[in-house]
Amino acid sequence: MLIIIEIFVNLLLGYFIFGLLFGIYFFIKGAFKLDELIIESKWTVRLLLLPGAIGLWPLLLMKIIRKTTTK
Amino acid sequence: MGVNYQTVLWNRNKKIYDRWIGLSMLIYLISFIGLTFITNVQTSVETLIIRAFGTLAIVLLHIILVIGPLSRINTRFLPLLYNRRHLGVSMFLAALIHGGFSLFQFHTLGNVNPIYALFSSNMDYNSLKNFPFQVLGFFALIILFLMAATSHDFWLKNLSAKSWKRLHMMVYFAYALIIMHVFLGSFQQQPSLWSTAILSFGFVVITALHISTGSKERKLDHIKTTDTNEGWDYVCDIDEIPEDRAKIFIVDNERIAVFKYNNKLSAISNVCKHQGGPLGEGKVVDGCVTCPWHGYQYLPHNGQSPPPFTEQVSTYRLKLIDKKVYVSPKALPEGTEVDPVIFNN
Repeated sequence: MLIIIEIFVNLLLGYFIFGLLFGIYFFIKGAFKLDELIIESKWTVRLLLLPGAIGLWPLLLMKIIRKTTTK
Repeated sequence: MGVNYQTVLWNRNKKIYDRWIGLSMLIYLISFIGLTFITNVQTSVETLIIRAFGTLAIVLLHIILVIGPLSRINTRFLPLLYNRRHLGVSMFLAALIHGGFSLFQFHTLGNVNPIYALFSSNMDYNSLKNFPFQVLGFFALIILFLMAATSHDFWLKNLSAKSWKRLHMMVYFAYALIIMHVFLGSFQQQPSLWSTAILSFGFVVITALHISTGSKERKLDHIKTTDTNEGWDYVCDIDEIPEDRAKIFIVDNERIAVFKYNNKLSAISNVCKHQGGPLGEGKVVDGCVTCPWHGYQYLPHNGQSPPPFTEQVSTYRLKLIDKKVYVSPKALPEGTEVDPVIFNN
């Protein structure tokens, strides 16, 4: 059981560490690629979106890739 | 609904509501801390913070969960629904302080990762009575985090309304986890008849309100139009629709709202593009159908949000024979212009 817990906790930490890195990318560039309305919005909006980007990074990464490849 | 995003969508009313939320939370915390000091002087500051913020989060969660059904029962609760988002974020912050302090007080003193310690400090996973209740709270907090983090309109647009709604419906799963977290925690640490009774009462109220409004909605979905006229469904007499308001009907398994305004009749989909709010329960304000949930607006004759906004809903053709209102059951593509039916009083 302890091994399962260890694996789970490491996966969780990995998920959020990668999420944090993605969040930085999302703040600087990614949000603009996903939604054009961000261009006209203040930087504080992107800051507010950061926790969501960290939490949902796989979904957002897929959406950004899909959007970039279909252009 | 906008040409750019605002950091926080504040208007005068929202600011007033937010001040009330902040003030009420403060009063609750002061009262809780004061009462605890009077009744149990030995309580440590950390424990006091954990309990005060934990109970505050539960109270706020109950309020959040009753606002939806209450506003379906009585429109006077709609302003609360309009401001529910900020209440949700406040609830998450209270839960985060509760969880953060708990983690700090009970799991940071050892030499292992505090999250690992949280999962491994009590290994009675096979026991119902001694199940590690902290784990349930942890998962509930993760759900509440995802909900609070995606509460901005950006997420609603970019995750799609359907996915966003699905994510936010997880509040019920979080609620179930929190109920078990509190019951087990109370049972294992300091059994209290009062807290059990209050929590049970809250659960019963929430369940009863949801069942009541759910059955009301189901009844509406089962009302079928029987009178047809060359492919047009009779829905009601014109006098049955109040001025600047609508009546909701099920046509071809879709909810539609027939609005009466300025001696005109128009029909649009009843489902708002924002969060699926019931447009037919809203009013015509400044010539626009206004969603009762968050104020999104649509022009009744074409289902389009007024420029520069871009939301669109389906429209329906109407005809009037004597005083009888008929609707063509086929939904027109979103934003299709339909000449309103004009009538004389």
